[in-house]
Amino acid sequence: MDMAAHTGPKAEVVRRRRANAGRHLAPFLFISPWILGFLFFTLGPLCFSLTMSFFDWPVVGERTFVGLDNYRSMFMEDPQFRESLWITVKFAAIYVPFNIVMSFLLALLLHHATFASGFFRTVFYLPSVISGVALVTIWSWIYSREYGLLNFMLSLVGIDGPNWLGDPSLALVAIIVASLWGLGGTMLILLTGLKAIPKELYEAATVSGVPGWAQMVFITLPMLGPMLIFTFITSIISAFQQLTIALLLTKGGPLGSTYFFAMYIYDNAFKYFDMGYAAAGSWVMFVIVLTLSLVVMRWSAAWVYYEGEVRPADGDRDA
Amino acid sequence: MPDMKTTIIGALLALSVAGAATARAEEVLRFATWDTGESLAIQQAIAKKFEEKHPGVKVQVEPYAEGYDQKLVAAFGAGNPPDVMYMWNFPQYYTSLMPLDELIARDSAEIKPDDFPEGLMNTTRIEGKTYGMPSGFTTQVVFYNKEMFAKAGVEEPKEGWTWDDLRAKAAKFRDEAGKVYGFAVDAKPDPYDFEQFLWSNGTKYISDDGKEIDGYMNSDAAAAVLGMFADMARKEEAVTLHLGDETGGDTLFQGGKIAMFQSAMWDKADIDAAGFSYGVAPLPTFGDRPAHSALGVSAISIAKDAAHPDLAWEFVKFFSSPDSVAMRVNDLPVRKSVAEAKGMTKDPVYKPFFDILATSNTERHAYLKNANWGKIQDNLARAIEATMIDQGNAKAHLDDAVKRSKRLLK
Repeated sequence: MDMAAHTGPKAEVVRRRRANAGRHLAPFLFISPWILGFLFFTLGPLCFSLTMSFFDWPVVGERTFVGLDNYRSMFMEDPQFRESLWITVKFAAIYVPFNIVMSFLLALLLHHATFASGFFRTVFYLPSVISGVALVTIWSWIYSREYGLLNFMLSLVGIDGPNWLGDPSLALVAIIVASLWGLGGTMLILLTGLKAIPKELYEAATVSGVPGWAQMVFITLPMLGPMLIFTFITSIISAFQQLTIALLLTKGGPLGSTYFFAMYIYDNAFKYFDMGYAAAGSWVMFVIVLTLSLVVMRWSAAWVYYEGEVRPADGDRDA
Repeated sequence: MPDMKTTIIGALLALSVAGAATARAEEVLRFATWDTGESLAIQQAIAKKFEEKHPGVKVQVEPYAEGYDQKLVAAFGAGNPPDVMYMWNFPQYYTSLMPLDELIARDSAEIKPDDFPEGLMNTTRIEGKTYGMPSGFTTQVVFYNKEMFAKAGVEEPKEGWTWDDLRAKAAKFRDEAGKVYGFAVDAKPDPYDFEQFLWSNGTKYISDDGKEIDGYMNSDAAAAVLGMFADMARKEEAVTLHLGDETGGDTLFQGGKIAMFQSAMWDKADIDAAGFSYGVAPLPTFGDRPAHSALGVSAISIAKDAAHPDLAWEFVKFFSSPDSVAMRVNDLPVRKSVAEAKGMTKDPVYKPFFDILATSNTERHAYLKNANWGKIQDNLARAIEATMIDQGNAKAHLDDAVKRSKRLLK
């Protein structure tokens, strides 16, 4: 290193850079607990699982590199892969819209409730606080064929209740209903969003003679956009990861009618101990969820309005 | 106050020093088991006796219970397996287990390998090598409620009875108002046990070389077995278990809702406690073929990388000794000498378990023949369930299971 350099203007630059580096480092130090957690417990395992997916990887015994064979076998030879994926898509296609619409309606009700709104807010949110296992136990009592609450109620009005969890055509419906029970979380997010919409907007609209339904379409929904899109994406993700309820309530049955994709991965990993194949399945799920989320984000850009956001003029958008 | 603090710190220090001292003095042998409750207590008692015989040794009994396989596989994966462990799934683990043949040969005077029935030893062998010592077993039988038989005026089952006999008897117990049936068929049987019916009807799930299921699992003989159970459900000779209802056959039998119940040793204690007089009949036969039983065997094995291999072998020998075997009252003694000494081979309650063991040594369970059996078995389980839901179509469902499993045979 040239000593002379330390005295000239160049040295000043170096010093300033160092100071800058220090300034830039500080924020990273502050978020380092999260960064480290992310690196070691999320990104690390993520990359590791990608490696695993190219191997025949039993937990006990020899590992062999098989290239893309896990993926090939999954797509070409394994009927269970397609069946499980299809069940999951069906589940998501019903669960996601219902989850959002019902949460929205409940949030709206609570928002306009004139009394006991705190009580109902707690009641609606309560199922989200219960652990998955307890929730499943409750639902297995509700759905039980002989002694279940649901069929007991049906019997009071003279209906011979079906075998909810034992009938392949009903079990998925039963699981969707049980999953929707936990919509309190989504409802709370939307309720917060509703409360954040400035009252002045509605007042101005009312003064101008805008009818109620138009206020909903032109004020409430657009102002709630970011919340809706957030709940939409998180609902899609949780729908694809659905495991607990099916695993405990139906164990994937009857006849595999509730054998979700997450359970397919779970079984490959922890029942058959075929870690490479399971990792490949996880990556397929990751790519699907990522693609769906990106599509939703892209599509939402057209209709979601963020407060304080500056949009390019329409003509510039394609530039 | 400072005095209190000093005392606490002093006490903690003393404790940790004491802890370190005992840790140094003892050699810890880790033993993993899947049992819980009374069976676990028996194993802990055996471990205690071993400790008495070997001062300075502590046997750390690790009851993994539910999720035994997950915990064991994780322990192996992490390179930290227990020294000695319960084992049944030898094909999956044998590469990580210690072969015992040389040790058995060396200590044969002490072990007396001939005292163990051949059928049981077969379940612990892979490619001709022995990887575990049986420590307890059960075969399958039919329990029947003597009081219900007397009340209905039905003749009790006799040795050599057939499935046709069972069906004729079962039909006489059906009482719709009382929700009473003669027998129970399971829509979700453990395929491991279910293979006994195929063996008894002259077929099996998979060829002996483990390479072919077409013509075995879906053979006419296999479809006939499954079709018979579906027919029993359809004609209400039997109640169907596990169709959206988790009530087990054990509960129904103990509650007097079914007159006959096919099961094994694991239900005997509860049936004893139910407080009615019962009998034990052998598994029925298909025509004049002999009946075969599934063999539920608990064996114990040593990890290849055991921290204390010599001590582990001492423990396995102790666990298989006549005294220890005699202590296990929750399953059946694996030593012929112990069974005879206890008079069990002549006792009418236990005799059927031992009789069928003698004729169940010619077939090997499917999981021993193909490493992918776990996956194939799930397709088979679905075919069985589908047949029980349809109350028919056995052949079509079994064909489907074979088709779905083809890729797993490679």
